[in-house]
Amino acid sequence: MTTQIQPDAAARTGDPDAPLLTIENLEVTFRTRDAPVHAVRGVDLTVYAGQTLAVIGESGSGKTVTSRAVMGLLPRTASVRGSIRLGDRQMVGLGEKELRKCLGREVGMIFQDPARSLNPTMRIGSQLTEAIRVHLPLDRRQARERAVELLAMVRLPAPARRFHEYPHQLSGGMRQRVMIAIALACQPRLLIADEATTALDVTTQAQIMDLLLDLQQRFAMGLVLISHDMGLAASYADQVAVMYAGRVVERAPTREMIAHVRMPYTRALLDATPRLERPPHAPLPVISGRPPDLRALDPGCAFAPRCSRVRERCRQERPELAEHQPRHEWACFFPCADDTIPGEDER
Amino acid sequence: MSDTLTRSPGRSDRPAVRPPRAAGLLNRSPAVRVAIKRVLQAVPVVWGATFITFCLMNLLPGNAAVALLGDDATPEQVAALSARLNLDEPFLVRYLQWLGNALTGDLGNSLQNNEPVTAILGRALPVSLELVVLAFALALLVAVPTAVVAAKRPGGFADRIGMQISMFGLSVPNFVFALVLVLVFAVGLRVLPAVGYVPIGQGLGPNLRAMILPATAIAFALFCEYTRVLRADIVDQMLREDYITTARAKGVGSWQVLVRHALRNSVFSLLTIVGLQFGALIGSTVIIEQMFGLPGMGQGLLQGINNRDIPVVQAYVVVMACFVVGANLVTDLLYAVLDPRIRHGRPAA
Repeated sequence: MTTQIQPDAAARTGDPDAPLLTIENLEVTFRTRDAPVHAVRGVDLTVYAGQTLAVIGESGSGKTVTSRAVMGLLPRTASVRGSIRLGDRQMVGLGEKELRKCLGREVGMIFQDPARSLNPTMRIGSQLTEAIRVHLPLDRRQARERAVELLAMVRLPAPARRFHEYPHQLSGGMRQRVMIAIALACQPRLLIADEATTALDVTTQAQIMDLLLDLQQRFAMGLVLISHDMGLAASYADQVAVMYAGRVVERAPTREMIAHVRMPYTRALLDATPRLERPPHAPLPVISGRPPDLRALDPGCAFAPRCSRVRERCRQERPELAEHQPRHEWACFFPCADDTIPGEDER
Repeated sequence: MSDTLTRSPGRSDRPAVRPPRAAGLLNRSPAVRVAIKRVLQAVPVVWGATFITFCLMNLLPGNAAVALLGDDATPEQVAALSARLNLDEPFLVRYLQWLGNALTGDLGNSLQNNEPVTAILGRALPVSLELVVLAFALALLVAVPTAVVAAKRPGGFADRIGMQISMFGLSVPNFVFALVLVLVFAVGLRVLPAVGYVPIGQGLGPNLRAMILPATAIAFALFCEYTRVLRADIVDQMLREDYITTARAKGVGSWQVLVRHALRNSVFSLLTIVGLQFGALIGSTVIIEQMFGLPGMGQGLLQGINNRDIPVVQAYVVVMACFVVGANLVTDLLYAVLDPRIRHGRPAA
């Protein structure tokens, strides 16, 4: 078998140190029947080749909207402002034709629920060759060969047979492998995984993550992990950005972030992750309250109503994201100290 | 229940008792299973339809003898003819006689002119069948592209025009539309005949010329309905389904996403109504057949009822019931062909 899939992605980027993806001051607003929903409020993110960035936040934090904005996959009701540069191409305001050339070729995406993200009435093979032939000048037979190779690459057992099967004949983990094969069909430089392992069981989750990281290394891809799971970010990402109410509220290299959490929201997220070291049946700390209504935010810090460290200033004035320590940014007036345990330092 | 309660835990690993293999016929592929099930269901449906029709025909005032002899006949004449036509037997006896003959394949002769009912059916069925098939083909041929274009931009120009036309079409009865067609194409432009039927035997061209106006008249309302249903389904898919997003994320063009991914999964709702209507429409095109002078089933059925010609009416009812059941069967089988989840014996998600 001739190997068509070469780790050439690094070669395609001119300058290896130049960022793959640069998001600057991204704003996304959805028109609704009543007030417009300001879902993303000035987000800056940067992803380099070979780097894994985890974007963490709960539902409604704007993480998924940000990723869809990169792909130009937002509904018509959304208006996007700011800048999204993929390589040296500006994605905001890109025409449909230009955008299509990028999608799948420059950036691939996998989604949360592999049971729904594959077309139930099309064979695995056709869905895969479709992704290949949109961008690459291959004939039917060559595309087929490459498809089977891709299926083997994502370690799907019996790839030649799976080629002819339908999604419902595969398990959840296998479907997600197929999705990865589709996303990587044209070797994009950037892969966005939107909650890609959330719908899978824990063992499958680990296998899929290992596969993703492995492929990322092999092709020197940039990888964006969109997740609500701090544990996942801690185990697999190089850099973590925590989002809340449409803004990045803390960002640091993973190790630094875990060791020195500053933002009380991040702290709370970390504490809400179940851990084996805890005694059995110990109550899991939860973040009380609900994410704020994005139609009407107060002038202060968006997390203030739920924050255990909140003071008067937090309700009046919004803290900006700033680099308070080298490579560690946070947006908080009263950040946690290194060994702060929430609830113990109340005034 | 008691079985589960009394079973000792030590024996729970014993393999469960297998169901007897007598159900072998039903254990075949899903398609065969569906077919067998539908055919078995057809039996009570067809029987019920004939029985109810027989009852209703008896409730109508007058009988075939009165119809044959006219209003001036004396009661003695009517009684004599009734006796000759076997109409003086009790209701149930006559029904069972008819049923017995029908089961042996003998649908009887017309009371009106003693012609075998099968011969009458043989003339009328092809006419109606062609009319309905043509109407469905026309409706689908226009509805699918219209729905796709409308769904491309919901609320856009094409969508609004398409929805206006289809709303109009749904609110206009087909015989009104038929009159408009006749006025325009037969009276005004003089390109098509207004009435009359030409059998296929005398050439496909003349036959189609005679059929195209009535078929279009029936097709218009169908087209409007199918366009609306299909468009709504496609728009829904495009907004909600994740595999649409996947296809977009591949860089597939928007038309291709629509046709290859959304349309393909939208045909199921369309298929359901087409199947239901196809069976129901055979023989219910009376008005259109009358207007265009087509010797189809609608016309035959009407005559049969007016003449109290029970064997003729019964035969039509049998055929129509069979078509309803048959259309449902074909729909089910098409589902299996189009949806791999059903084909492989799993329920659709």
